[in-house]
Amino acid sequence: MTIGLAMFAALVLVVLLGPLLAPYSPSKTSPDSLAGPSAAHWLGTDSIGRDVLSRLIVGGRGTLLITFVAVALALAVGLVLGLVSGYVGGRVDVVIMRVLDVVFAFPVFLLAIAVVAALGPTLRNLILTIAIVYTPTLARVVRGPVLSVKRWDHVEAARSVGVGEFAIALRHVLPMVISPILVQTSLTLANTIFTVTALSFLGLGPPPPDPNWGSMLADARQFMELAPLTVIGPAAAIVFASLTFIVLANGLREMLDVQGR
Amino acid sequence: MMRMVVVRLALTIPILLGVSLVAFVLMRALPGDFAQASAGTSTISAAALEQIRVNLGLDRPIWEQYLRWLGNALTGDLGRSFASKRPIAGELFPRLAVTAELTLIAGAMALAMGVSTGLASARLRGRTDWMVRGWNSLLLAVPNFVIATLIVLLFGLYFPTIGIFNYVAFATDPLGNLASLLLPALSLSLSVSVTISENTRAAVLEVSSQDYVMVARAKGLHARTILGNYLVRNALTPVITVAGLQAAAMLGGSILIETIFTIPGMGQYLFESVGNRDYPAIQGIVLVAATIVLLMNVLVDIAYARVDARVSYD
Repeated sequence: MTIGLAMFAALVLVVLLGPLLAPYSPSKTSPDSLAGPSAAHWLGTDSIGRDVLSRLIVGGRGTLLITFVAVALALAVGLVLGLVSGYVGGRVDVVIMRVLDVVFAFPVFLLAIAVVAALGPTLRNLILTIAIVYTPTLARVVRGPVLSVKRWDHVEAARSVGVGEFAIALRHVLPMVISPILVQTSLTLANTIFTVTALSFLGLGPPPPDPNWGSMLADARQFMELAPLTVIGPAAAIVFASLTFIVLANGLREMLDVQGR
Repeated sequence: MMRMVVVRLALTIPILLGVSLVAFVLMRALPGDFAQASAGTSTISAAALEQIRVNLGLDRPIWEQYLRWLGNALTGDLGRSFASKRPIAGELFPRLAVTAELTLIAGAMALAMGVSTGLASARLRGRTDWMVRGWNSLLLAVPNFVIATLIVLLFGLYFPTIGIFNYVAFATDPLGNLASLLLPALSLSLSVSVTISENTRAAVLEVSSQDYVMVARAKGLHARTILGNYLVRNALTPVITVAGLQAAAMLGGSILIETIFTIPGMGQYLFESVGNRDYPAIQGIVLVAATIVLLMNVLVDIAYARVDARVSYD
């Protein structure tokens, strides 16, 4: 848990301080292209002489911001849908779950590609796409425990003293199901890192010149035998970010005593 | 049993209809114009554009377009590609076969790696368990396209003589075909093996604590007999279910892997179609892939009910 939090803090720092930490401008070119690591360029330079470390930091800011915003959106929608579906039940539940089943039937990455292809690869559409593909998972994780918690005694007690249904759902049901949601959110963050970087890798990410770990990896493939660091840098960054959220999810699961998947 | 199969299939039909609707609406609700994408150019006279519209049936009401598209799809006609102007079904299905082969090999690899590491982890415990779980956490964090890129880098740096981009068709050289798919399948299988490994471990641990295993041990059966006849056989049921459900993840992953290793499969076809703004092709691929995943899920359910008599769907 401590390790996970420390890694998470490092990621947040990069997001907040990104441009201040980067030694160069990410788009500043220089004549020595594909240079190895040196005192001036710790991780060397890419094919048109841009500093790899600076691009990693600024690109990380882009990648992580998309991830956080998209997952926050998916969480908000999934939370509402799951809570309403589980708490209200009946026909509302059936309709919501059937619609989500349809989205669920698509392989996540395939759906993401199709949606981005249809809407066009802009920053806003990318965030929207990821929110759409991950909403069903989060809604299901919320709905499951709500189904049982809503029958517990304290809910009945609240109802008998005249607390409104809306207040019950928010104040007496939601807090009881927060642990599995936290764990699933952390796992979704890891999955989103994959989806965002994979889409950028295929050229469907945010348009250039914004650096992005996925597109950096794709661009570097052409010259990777000459400058392996241009590939290893973004690869390591992607792995570090997903590992952070996986470690965090495992830590949360143990701390909050959530049953395995 | 028969009843259950029929009910399960019937439940899938509304979801399939929903899937087809999403695939259709997604591509018709484009910001760019469908007819214009078909023409492949933005400099086209209004009359010519109108002609294309009529030819494609775009002048009809949207629900009529959907029904016609769905009807055609049911008879195996997915329309014509904007890029090549040939029927999509004829282009898609040979590529689907390639992807199916890649996925099968990857699935077998993942099953072999996952079951053996999971079994070792649960039986040996201690340091082995710790190492397997650490390895799994790390593998889980490495996306398949990163693994594939690193494999390509590794071979480029240290074994430049081995051609890893030379896909060989099965019909020309079956052995060469297998060999050319090994590295792509390996990159695809690693993250799937983690899921299988963790589920195997959990299942074996659970079965080990069952009474019948204790009885078997008490009556003096050999450890090997217990392992083979009691543990593995009973623990493998949930594992096979999980493996079946991973088909969706592998279909998604094959898009990246096929693009990286230049394998002419369905994933690469999707990638090209996106690049060409070939909307009917994207529609067709999405529909076919989602149908396969849905049918896989039904198969898994049926297999599960067949093996485990306690499961019923009435």
